Amino acid sequence: MNVQTNNVSENNFEQCIKCTICTVYCPVVPVNPLYPGPKQAGPDGERLRLKKGVFFDEALKYCLNCKRCEVVCPSGVRVGDIIQSARLKYSKHKPSIRDMILASTDLVGSTATKMAPIVNPVVSSKPAKALMDGILKIDHRRTFPAYASETFEHWFRKKAAPLQSAFAKQVGYFHGCYVNYNYPKLGQDFVKIMNAVGYGVSLVDKEKCCGVALISNGMKKTAKKHAAHNTAAIAGLLGRCEAVLSTSSTCTLTIRDEYPHLLGTDNSAIRDGVLLAVKFLYSLVDRGEIRLVFRKDFSMTAAYHAPCHLEKLGWSIFSIGLLKMIPGLKLTVLDSNCCGIAGTYGFKKENYEVSQSIGQPLFEQIRSLSPDVVATDCETCKWQIEMSTGFKVMNPVSILAEALDVEATVEENKKAGR
Amino acid sequence: MRFDTVIIGGGLSGLVCGIKLQKVGKKCCIVSAGQSALHFSSGAFDILDRLPDGTSVRHPLEGMRHLPSTHPYSRIGQDRMKEYVSATTGFFADCGVPLCGNPLVNSYRLSPTGDFCPAWLSLSDFFLIDEPAVDPGARILIVNIFGYLDFNPAFIAAGLEKSGATCRIIAVKLDEMERLRSNPSEMRATNIAKVLDKDYVRSELVSAVSKELKGESAIIFPAVFGLESDSVISEIRNSFDTKVHFATTMPPSVPGIRTQRKLRKHFESIGGTYLLGDTVDRAELSDDNTVLSVGTVNFGDLKLTADDYVLATGSFFSKGLCASPEKITEPVFGLDVDYVADRKNWYDTDLFATQNYISFGVSVTDDFQAVKDGRPIRNLHAIGSVLGGYNALQEGSGAGTAIMTAFRVADIIIEKEEKR
Amino acid sequence: MKTVSNDSVYDVIIIGGGATGAGTARDCALRGLKVLLIERHDIATGATGRNHGLLHSGARYAVTDRESAEECIKENMILKKIARHCVEKTDGFFLTLPEDDLGYQKTFIEACRAAGIEAEAVDPKEALIAEPSANPTITGAVRVPDGSVDPFRLTSANIIDAKLHGAHILVYSEVTDFIFDNDRVVGVKVRDHVSGEETNRYGNIIVNAAGIWGAGIVRKAGISINMFPAKGSLLIFGHRVNNVVLNRCRKPANADILVPGDTICVIGTTSDRVPYDTIDDMRVTPEEVDLLLSEGMKLAPSLEHTRIIRAYAGVRPLVAMDDDPSGRNISRGIVLLDHETRDGVKGLISITGGKLMTYRLMAEMATDLVCAKLGVSAKCVTATEPLPGSRNDSPEEISDRMSSVYANPMRSSAGRHGDMAKSISHDTEYDLSLVCECEDVSLGEVEYAIENLDVHNLVDLRRRTRVGMGTCQGELCACRAAGLLAKAHGCASKAVADLRNFMNERWKGMYPVSWGETLRENEYTLWVYAGVCGMNRKSEDKPEAKSECKSKGKSVKKEGNHEI
Repeated sequence: MNVQTNNVSENNFEQCIKCTICTVYCPVVPVNPLYPGPKQAGPDGERLRLKKGVFFDEALKYCLNCKRCEVVCPSGVRVGDIIQSARLKYSKHKPSIRDMILASTDLVGSTATKMAPIVNPVVSSKPAKALMDGILKIDHRRTFPAYASETFEHWFRKKAAPLQSAFAKQVGYFHGCYVNYNYPKLGQDFVKIMNAVGYGVSLVDKEKCCGVALISNGMKKTAKKHAAHNTAAIAGLLGRCEAVLSTSSTCTLTIRDEYPHLLGTDNSAIRDGVLLAVKFLYSLVDRGEIRLVFRKDFSMTAAYHAPCHLEKLGWSIFSIGLLKMIPGLKLTVLDSNCCGIAGTYGFKKENYEVSQSIGQPLFEQIRSLSPDVVATDCETCKWQIEMSTGFKVMNPVSILAEALDVEATVEENKKAGR
Repeated sequence: MRFDTVIIGGGLSGLVCGIKLQKVGKKCCIVSAGQSALHFSSGAFDILDRLPDGTSVRHPLEGMRHLPSTHPYSRIGQDRMKEYVSATTGFFADCGVPLCGNPLVNSYRLSPTGDFCPAWLSLSDFFLIDEPAVDPGARILIVNIFGYLDFNPAFIAAGLEKSGATCRIIAVKLDEMERLRSNPSEMRATNIAKVLDKDYVRSELVSAVSKELKGESAIIFPAVFGLESDSVISEIRNSFDTKVHFATTMPPSVPGIRTQRKLRKHFESIGGTYLLGDTVDRAELSDDNTVLSVGTVNFGDLKLTADDYVLATGSFFSKGLCASPEKITEPVFGLDVDYVADRKNWYDTDLFATQNYISFGVSVTDDFQAVKDGRPIRNLHAIGSVLGGYNALQEGSGAGTAIMTAFRVADIIIEKEEKR
Repeated sequence: MKTVSNDSVYDVIIIGGGATGAGTARDCALRGLKVLLIERHDIATGATGRNHGLLHSGARYAVTDRESAEECIKENMILKKIARHCVEKTDGFFLTLPEDDLGYQKTFIEACRAAGIEAEAVDPKEALIAEPSANPTITGAVRVPDGSVDPFRLTSANIIDAKLHGAHILVYSEVTDFIFDNDRVVGVKVRDHVSGEETNRYGNIIVNAAGIWGAGIVRKAGISINMFPAKGSLLIFGHRVNNVVLNRCRKPANADILVPGDTICVIGTTSDRVPYDTIDDMRVTPEEVDLLLSEGMKLAPSLEHTRIIRAYAGVRPLVAMDDDPSGRNISRGIVLLDHETRDGVKGLISITGGKLMTYRLMAEMATDLVCAKLGVSAKCVTATEPLPGSRNDSPEEISDRMSSVYANPMRSSAGRHGDMAKSISHDTEYDLSLVCECEDVSLGEVEYAIENLDVHNLVDLRRRTRVGMGTCQGELCACRAAGLLAKAHGCASKAVADLRNFMNERWKGMYPVSWGETLRENEYTLWVYAGVCGMNRKSEDKPEAKSECKSKGKSVKKEGNHEI
């Protein structure tokens, strides 16, 4: 009898053998007793919800979707996916205006960028924060990321695009909302590195927000639209590029894994082609296809924080590996802990305290090390750490770009015929 | 990505092997698909306390002489076993894991159900005794944390009272614990330990227990202290004039998780690479049965290459072995597995009798080279519970096999290098 | 030997604590009789607790056994009223697969309607929308009013009501012999399995409601009933694959019903004649498992990938009437035997045959005969009088009102105990904390069950609350529950021994399906209970702890602040 060889239910919660390991590593449980914990919220709750939807507990919203439960699970259960799917399927909670504003990163971003000189001082002013806190329930203690006056896309079209066709090898770039509206510098750093090692960069056609914030705020329909658009656009780009890269660990995870697991979007044609820039770069160095030359005068101490979603991707080793290649960089790898922000989660007034308590061990370790910069691959981790510790936070790509001896790298890669 | 050795599986066996290799300068990478069975550890290591025929074993090295030649211990050989048995305590001490117990003679530990079970070496949280009984005159205070259900002081008391000891049970209510208690499911050992890691909560506990002491000669706490570090253990011990012991709880195991963390940290501190949450899902073999590379789920097309590969994937629990209704397979390399064919023969209808399936495992040579289609794979060795030929639960030999085979295979890999 | 004095002569003594015995006890008690029920093990341990838990609409028997079909639909409608907290109105589909004759559908629908069963052909596409787990290749579907029923809850509710009306219930007590006064049975000899004590119990009428074991019971009175022990094996899957009962639209055969019940679903059954001397130890064979699985997959293909958590088997108490070797064509009909007219033995009757669905009717028939013999004229009210748990709000109504934080344990217990759940304390964190995480059983519910529902051990507790019935089969909860039993019964060593038995009882259902996740689960369970707890060392290395609870209550006190 050739059945039951793959004894797994569709959403794999039945592989759970109740070993409780996930509960040990959940960052929420120790600080928020209202959260039922990953085992109860995930596989245990799923059985009850299949019995009757009334067993759905709105407290599942306290899950950060950090996926640390999935990283440690010896049974391969996608605990975080089960919880997020349940929220999308059963939650009766309608997204509030606050949630919609927080979730619509690209819509808000595109408006705010146009009016950056006005928006930035306003959102950081005390009256505005009080207003946001009171009406929108966005915590007033939260520092809002500043909007750039020029979007990355705008800069790219104007300054970079014309130069890219000169390169024989090509990659695509999924810049994400953060690079586009808040911090185009990271995108520019990325282009600088790729060009230096002989790669031209193209953008994803009419890129839409990856949708992570839409998913976590229950706006599945819009998220699915974004997913369908991005999947098709990335597929188009992959026809002429080696890979489509991102500098955000969360965008990468969302496109690769949340699309099929939470939205039911078939991304099998593009999944393997969507990579975090550091993984792509590391692989090129590892295979000897490129060489990176660093400035001799570069000197910096950095503490590396692995974002939760990068831990889930299993790729923090690439960021660490690349940073370790920089001779002038003294690197300490921080203990793997969640910073507590989890995208829009920490912005919500009701989550502020929990969010800060979760990050406490990380903040303490950073303070005790007192590095020049904290390196991390996630934009929301950056906001959280900067706000909570005052330390400057840089994406590893930006550190690489700063440390890179561009001319020597260009020279080296040309010389070697790479 | 290139390493000297790639170890698949990051539990007790994989970590011990990795640490031993990394120590002599071998660049090691451990790929671990989730956390390991150390999370359910009793807090003690066993090595051998019963022979397959049921004879009790007091002196493990003596007992080993009576094991079949296919038993992992027999493959290692008496002389080497002697060396490894003596080296274990020192090895773990170097990793920051202090062990107690006489490596040559089995002692007894107290189980969560109040039984005295044979044990070899133990984490120093726990106490080991020479005979399965305590001093009949002992007066013992057993302390539980109020509302914690995975520790049953009454079971422990009943066990100790069999030897004539007198036990008194108290449950301490702590303000800080009440927050955790408002969650119906999360009053677990590890979550309690996280609360007790806070200094002020511990001192509240100590003062509450001190007030309750009525001349008892010993205090027993559940082992819910020191998730991060064992300094908490000694601090609690020093807070009382009375002897303080810790008793194993039902899973998750705080001392076991601490041990896992310390071994991993030590491995990484001496330069090892530990990839958690990734699964080796394919391997490339040459025609002459040599592993050329392995691939993982997360790494995609980026392969891991090494001179040597070690399979430490564990048994069924961790999917080192997979059972379907018809057969038992090894999923990474498709290795030969030693098992009996008809699934009626896999189990005994008495749960606590010898379960055959526990002794199933991959076929190996005397040098622990894994075998595929009848041919040994030159640079792939198997260690720990993915091995067959022994019944960890019947013999009480699970941890011992994990450690001993890890030592042996590390030595084999090091010797190979020396020969080259 | 102790003899109970004459003033405690019962009007009726019922042998057997299955659904029929419990139902008879309730009916007799409601009609004002002085009742004693004697059960060898716990309630609902025989065939009552070892079937599908299908609330038959009768459709299954419509073509082949009209009488049974009519009984079923009548009882179906009654149970939906009087036992709301034990039943789920899921409806059922009779599916025609490509390999089945679609022509049978017409015969089937006509037969259903003739028996008074609503049966309506549904477009296969619509059926698949209503029940997505059904085989997508179906060529036909008929909707019938099937449902599911929890036999443990049902039996327990009958027992509770019988007790409320003065009945005495003796569990773990076995009838070893009859006491005769000339040609009249006047009482029974009873052995208490816990204390070992033997007593005589006297009654005017003795009702043998011992199911398949009834043949053995009446043999002690020199009477022979030709019983047909037909073993039926079933598999429990880890979660609800379907929400509508799935049947095959063909003549009844093996493994053609998939019933959703509470958190799980059940496929069954096989049917094989077994020797009478094996009925106490039914074990499921690998061949039966394979058959159930391959047939089950035809109803719901996803069963191929669904974790099986247990296999179990029961024995149908069929009374043999012809030479059919399979037992399939034997009537599921009710057999009421008056041994006075049949065998010349006065004071003894047997109620047997039938099925879980018709337990109430069987009880009514038996009670009618008892009353006739005793000259009691009271009428049966069990068809209209709701059972305890179903008298006030339905579980849905109770559950829908709950909105507090962590309402799920309360919701689950309302589902299990109906309106009786209001007696469960969920006032403190202590009460609310979970004992069984798979089935959402709170400490409050466990303590309620121990105090109020005659729980002697962990297996009894499981039948009352679902503790240990979930995916992990007791791995996490058994030890917690054992701790609570130790506290309640004041004996820790007895609780530890009980824990060992309980884990072994769980294993009995697991080993026939021990591969995949079930084997992984068992390995983990063994690490904890054999490895960490050392339970596989106990029996040989140390003397078994027996009756050593002299220190009862000395070291085990009620848990309070700073004190247990």
